[in-house]
Amino acid sequence: MSAIVSVAGLGVAYRSAGRDVPVVDDVSFELPPGRTLALVGESGSGKSTVAATLLGHLRYGSRLTGGTVRVDGQDVFALPARELRRLRGGAVAMIAQNAGQALTPSMRVGRQIAEAGGDVPVTDLLEQVRLPRPAELVRRYPHELSGGQQQRVAIAMAIATRPKVLVLDEPTTGLDVLTQRSVLDLVGSLRDELGLAAVLVSHDLGVVARMADEVCVLRSGRVVEAAPTRRLFAAPADPYTRRLLASVPRLTDTGLALVGEDGTREVRPKRAVPDDAAPSVDVRDVTIDYGSSRAVDGVSFQVRRGEVLALVGESGSGKSTLAWALAGLRAPSGGAMTHETGDTAGDLGASARRRPLALRRKIQLVFQNADTSLNPRRSVGDAVRRPLRFFGAAGSRDDAAARARRLISDVRLDPDFADRLPAQLSGGQRQRIGIARALAGEPDVLIADEITTALDVSVQADVLRLLDDLRRERDLACLFISHDLAVVRGIADRVVVLRHGVVVEEGPTDAVFADPGHPYTRQLMAAALEPDPDAVAPAGAADDWADAAEAGAVWDDLGEAHRVRRWRSADG
Amino acid sequence: MSVLKTPAEAPVPAPPPARSGAPGSAARVWRTVRTSRPAAIGLAIVAVHIVIALLAPLLTPYHPTTGDAAHALLGPSADHWAGTDQYGRDVLTRVLYGGRYALGVSVTATLLTLALGTVLGCAAALRGGWLDDLLMRVLDAVLSIPAILVLLVIVTALGTGSGVIVLAIGVICVPQVVRVVRGAALAVVPQDYVTAARARGEGTWAILRREVLPNITDVVCVEFAMRASWVVLLISSLSFLGFGADPPTPDWGLMVSENRTAITVVPMASLAPIIALATLVVGLNLAADGLSKAWGVDRIREGS
Repeated sequence: MSAIVSVAGLGVAYRSAGRDVPVVDDVSFELPPGRTLALVGESGSGKSTVAATLLGHLRYGSRLTGGTVRVDGQDVFALPARELRRLRGGAVAMIAQNAGQALTPSMRVGRQIAEAGGDVPVTDLLEQVRLPRPAELVRRYPHELSGGQQQRVAIAMAIATRPKVLVLDEPTTGLDVLTQRSVLDLVGSLRDELGLAAVLVSHDLGVVARMADEVCVLRSGRVVEAAPTRRLFAAPADPYTRRLLASVPRLTDTGLALVGEDGTREVRPKRAVPDDAAPSVDVRDVTIDYGSSRAVDGVSFQVRRGEVLALVGESGSGKSTLAWALAGLRAPSGGAMTHETGDTAGDLGASARRRPLALRRKIQLVFQNADTSLNPRRSVGDAVRRPLRFFGAAGSRDDAAARARRLISDVRLDPDFADRLPAQLSGGQRQRIGIARALAGEPDVLIADEITTALDVSVQADVLRLLDDLRRERDLACLFISHDLAVVRGIADRVVVLRHGVVVEEGPTDAVFADPGHPYTRQLMAAALEPDPDAVAPAGAADDWADAAEAGAVWDDLGEAHRVRRWRSADG
Repeated sequence: MSVLKTPAEAPVPAPPPARSGAPGSAARVWRTVRTSRPAAIGLAIVAVHIVIALLAPLLTPYHPTTGDAAHALLGPSADHWAGTDQYGRDVLTRVLYGGRYALGVSVTATLLTLALGTVLGCAAALRGGWLDDLLMRVLDAVLSIPAILVLLVIVTALGTGSGVIVLAIGVICVPQVVRVVRGAALAVVPQDYVTAARARGEGTWAILRREVLPNITDVVCVEFAMRASWVVLLISSLSFLGFGADPPTPDWGLMVSENRTAITVVPMASLAPIIALATLVVGLNLAADGLSKAWGVDRIREGS
């Protein structure tokens, strides 16, 4: 069978300061009908640029420097504008990363899908993407749908004209694990039903392992390695691919993996938290409301010095709300939160401004998005100096400057970075500065809110490593919030699983991962994607269940501080 | 590789180094001036006006207010380049000195307006809630009254001193500045670095000064240039109507009003101050346009 997509010697460059900067350099691949090719790489590798060329699109300022892109037998960049438009809606369709932004907010879903063209009735399309009650859904606006539903609508629009090739640009990034799993399942089955060829762009090797037949690894615009998926994951030939694969945290890791230059991985065992470690944060029966809706409902946990406690759950489970409440940015509506330092206890129920300075500095927050957590107009040194001066840790200006440089080197960066602006740093470096800024107050408690979600896997591994080192060095109590179970497995000592603001399971990481007691935890684990094409989902994940907790009998104790909220089989 | 999120992401091909380069804002202004022709021309015109106003006594041998009745209503000549008015005062001298009043009062008024408007706008964006609602409704009410009407009422009630005019301009312009600055600040406030400052427990003023203001300076600068041109015109209209500068102060608006009766005899006596006023306003407008384009400040989007 001849290839439906064939890219040969593709080169793309943009002009900057009077010279050509190559984005994509000599990329070639072929895709037969009905197969899926994954373009894998870290940010800046040119994978999205390559994918967009299939639709004949180049980013503003970029131009083709060589090669051809043929889709369905036509040379995309030689087509006149009218033909290109026909190709875009007809033969090739694209599903973008953020469906919320891809849909027009002021247009009802039904009209929007109808606008995509094609002869298939809109309700049939919605049924095809497994959306419930399509007749009702067509009258809704995009903002009335959840992220996963929006992505399904975007998929419905893409398949409306029955294209031959589907371009998926990070289709599930930004969705939580459960939604990601269901969207991927949908794309997989649609691909088989309609016999589509697909080009999948992703940085997530778990997604790639599950979806792709062939993988093309890109680095700085060049193909590093191209192989069938199974072979690539079993025996990666290139050192870069090996390093990339080794950097991905696994559900089976019992500690953080250290990745060598040649891609060998060695799991560093976790340091056991001594049994007599003093509790640092005590959260008891906390409820937090947003207006009339309850985001967090009666959550209790303790974090001890030197311990990493992970809060796990899908989006909307209330984990970030809890973090914000602890940081004093959102007042809880009930319950008690206290910070303990040996003999005195500080009340964390008050907002940051009402807390005494000494208490405020003890609890520090590291943000998810390093791009927006640093003031673009102030040097990173200034960002670190400010809390030093504000909390009174540094007396004079010179003292603050010297200590800021020391903190920057503590997070394994060159102290000379102090004079740079955030825009001159990479994402991982900015996240380190975010950590340095949090450390400036000399906290006991560090709240890390999805701090590695926006980072590439290799950078993620470095930042996790740093966090682990720092809590060892400084005996920090660390609240680690994440939806990525594999990351949690590697770094956390204990896990609290949240669902709709309620704790459904908690216990030591190893115990919870070895024997998840709650069906929701099992569901989360089954949805986590391993970078292994042969991985099979554990059985019994899709049980229907109902909450069976009653006053006085909320928990089933599984021993060793591992407990599960009571539940029963829905059919039983 | 990483794209900076700035409050004003207009689809203007602004040179990226202007956003990510050296931290000095002076360097940024200089780079803008070099790359943007309208901004350069506009700022040059304004600079010439300022220099002339400052050096007026050195540029002309005549006194602006004492006339020589023997030489009244003369046409342009070698002695009097722009002729003389009905009291025999040299028109060019009065035009050169006239910039002092126009520039002095307008710049003071604009600076005060902008300072107050920026603080109020940022505070409204930062605090939100009832403060924001209350402030915006009050300002909306003020905005709905015609500017020249407010000006005349205040001047009639409180007299025509420069202080009163500055105050009156403030009442008129602050609401507009607040609207624009609040719009720009609202884009900055949800950013995580502001949240981080809040979590540190910093005061509103410190957050304004350290986190919000540096990220909206471009909006404020453009607003200054735009507002200044508007204020210059407003003050000149006021003088023309007889409520601004008192005779015999050399002032452009007043000069036009004094000399318009003799416009057929000595047209230059009216034309010269008009030309001076027009060039200053055009200069300020060019500067505002050039800066806003170069810095990607979309004046329409910011709500002005």
